[in-house]
Amino acid sequence: METNVLQIKGLVKDFPGVRAVNDVCFDIKRNVVHCLVGENGAGKSTLIKILTGACERTCGSILLNGEEYCARSPKDARDKGISTLFQELNVVDQLTVEENLTLGIEDTTFGFLHKTDKIKKIIDVLKDLEPSINPKERVGRLSVAKKQIIEIAKAVASETEIIIMDEPTAALSESEIERLFTIVKRLREKGVTVIYISHRLDEIFTLGDYVTVMRDGMHVATKPIAEVKDRTELVHLMIGRTVIESYVPKEEQSDEVLLTCKDVCNHKLKNVSFNVKRGEIVGFYGLIGAGKTELARAIYGADSYSGEIVLKGEKLKGTPEKAIKAGIALVPEERRTQGLFTLLTIKHNISAMNLKKISKLGLLNSSQERATAKNYIEQLNIKTDSMDKETSKLSGGNQQKVVFSKCLFANADLLILDEPTRGIDVGAKAEIYAIVRELVANGKTIMFFSSELPEILHSCDRIFLLYEGEIKAELQNGKDIDSQDIIHIVTGGAAS
Amino acid sequence: MNKPIKALNARSATGKISNEAFLNRVMFLVLIVLFALASIFIDKYFSTATALNLIANNWYIVILGIGVTFLLVSGHLDMSVGGIVGMAGVLSAYFTQPANEGFSELGQGLGLPYGVAILLTLLVCLFIGMLNALFIAKMRVASIIVTLGTMSIARGIGQVAALGAQRSAGLPDLFGVIGNVPLFGPIKIAAAIAAILVVIALFIEKKTSFGRRTYLIGANREAARLSGVKVELHIGLLYMLSALLAGITGILLASEMKAGISTRGAGFEFNALVVTLLGGASIDGGVGSVLGMVIGALILGVVSSAAYGLLLRPEWQFILKAVVTFLAIIAQRYLLDRRNK
Repeated sequence: METNVLQIKGLVKDFPGVRAVNDVCFDIKRNVVHCLVGENGAGKSTLIKILTGACERTCGSILLNGEEYCARSPKDARDKGISTLFQELNVVDQLTVEENLTLGIEDTTFGFLHKTDKIKKIIDVLKDLEPSINPKERVGRLSVAKKQIIEIAKAVASETEIIIMDEPTAALSESEIERLFTIVKRLREKGVTVIYISHRLDEIFTLGDYVTVMRDGMHVATKPIAEVKDRTELVHLMIGRTVIESYVPKEEQSDEVLLTCKDVCNHKLKNVSFNVKRGEIVGFYGLIGAGKTELARAIYGADSYSGEIVLKGEKLKGTPEKAIKAGIALVPEERRTQGLFTLLTIKHNISAMNLKKISKLGLLNSSQERATAKNYIEQLNIKTDSMDKETSKLSGGNQQKVVFSKCLFANADLLILDEPTRGIDVGAKAEIYAIVRELVANGKTIMFFSSELPEILHSCDRIFLLYEGEIKAELQNGKDIDSQDIIHIVTGGAAS
Repeated sequence: MNKPIKALNARSATGKISNEAFLNRVMFLVLIVLFALASIFIDKYFSTATALNLIANNWYIVILGIGVTFLLVSGHLDMSVGGIVGMAGVLSAYFTQPANEGFSELGQGLGLPYGVAILLTLLVCLFIGMLNALFIAKMRVASIIVTLGTMSIARGIGQVAALGAQRSAGLPDLFGVIGNVPLFGPIKIAAAIAAILVVIALFIEKKTSFGRRTYLIGANREAARLSGVKVELHIGLLYMLSALLAGITGILLASEMKAGISTRGAGFEFNALVVTLLGGASIDGGVGSVLGMVIGALILGVVSSAAYGLLLRPEWQFILKAVVTFLAIIAQRYLLDRRNK
């Protein structure tokens, strides 16, 4: 048997006007966790799409176990031994765990379902991976983490050789991530090769055996993790320049209170009270489910609440449209479903939040709209060949910059950022942090909601820790910061 | 750095037209091809008369299509327009018919001046539109369910008011004027009204914030809400607009026949939807255009008249229409997918 389960040779994929994958060559060894990293637009996604049969290669060859491999569809890829755990999970919420696992492979006699050994085997695999999942439970009631495990079990039972995991931890909490890691390690023991894609570089050091770095569609390096010195080296390979800066305290602090929340409660929040001063970057850190998004949406008027939220001395009255008028803009948690109009062009997205400014008496001024779009494309360095391109065709980081542009054009004093760097690459993340700083320098105020501690520590002046819908602690960055304490508090420990 | 910025100034850097413009061109080509085919196979089909008839016989679908297009772009269906056409026709007749006791029940109306009758009729249409708005925009019931319901209500009002038949007795001459003012050849003023409405709709669709918001809502309702669009109000307005256009259509058609016929407009809601889809609108919202809809209406018109010219028995016309519609829409999707690959 070959030591390399997968060999990629001279792979090229051309899209109109762009070469997304450019002469990529590397091998993946059998029975390892092989990480794939690179900025958005580096060609990872396209490479994965070719492997899973979602798109066709232009030229080059892929050898699976030494034999030429070409998948026509994700199902074809699965039949040939390559399964994928997509970010959008492929489970049917209305069915039970068992029904999901057996979907498509049911055995029937005269149209009646009956259990076969095959099905029992899948259930056994699932029990083996995660005993706490009840096969009779409805999938819609399970967490994302458990849904993932169901998909993994399905792949393992079909005797897959390779499982591709595309950002599997993006929507998981810390404890769920650890459980997933245990499962990944188990898969390796079982002889499965895992191709692991993540923007969280720490994960790659904990989990990976090998790492392949891609940049601008090209293969940069493939090496054993043990030979990578540290995070900085990896980041350097990915973007070819060093970007990580540490927090610099601001010189002057304004005392003017911009926003006050008093006893804000709703289905998730419990008596949340705090204030935000003009020109501050205030961080809200907590795990998934701590109530960050709920708080952001309540302030913006997107969800109902009781209690009082006052901006510049005036009470806010609960609709997004009024919040925008009062000077607040939200960069929502879910870019594609809440922030972006993916069917529409970049310029139409950028103007969406402030049509008044580019119109007179309801008539749009298209040259003003183009000028606005051009301005933000340059200012935020959105990479595109045209402002008339649909935003669905942009990479995640550039999409997020379009959402930022939209909010900036709304001309808000207070920007609420809910997980602004989720699912975007290191380079774009650094750009987003730089944008945030520049905004504050220009007199804006930022509320930064995130479940990634490093970025909170990197950017924020003041930090609130959330747990189960309550504010558990307030910290001044640069002074009383101890990561261990913070983790202790946001996982439910008492504040010291 | 200089180059891409320069490129941004050009209309489109890649020289590519938008998907919408692409589809409109494709469908226009389909229209030309179908017209050419009909001209080859049917004697004397290629003539000014045919072209004029095409306009004269399809204006009403175009007016209805305007409202349906805007709604479809916003991600909503309107199946009530056919019912409203029937209702508006009957009511405009009922309001205008003389109030004297002497006539039979079907000849007795309210005796209102025609202008007042038109206003009243449009008000009732707006009321149906408001019902749609209330249930769909405010209470978020699926639009197909609500508008099928209001289609029945409107049709029912027409049926009751016309006793299941038609109201024509005793109508003043004025009633038959507006639908019958000749312009040239077979084209009457109603077609000109349709043309004016199309121009206004094109303008609203592309040049106003109202039109833009319609696309924003259809492309992503939640993102539109979070971007400050008053989504419920906007959808409500679109339904009122669509009902109003259907009311105008019904009044014009009744005037043309000088009768309020309670079964008028049956199936129009389907034709209006079909021409909108032929024009490249997506049933999921966010995509579509009035211009495309007009081309779609002409395609359907060519197919209908060709079927007639080919001496197909009338019962075969439906199937021919269906086949052409299916082929056109499948071709459309195929070309669009290939283009965006």
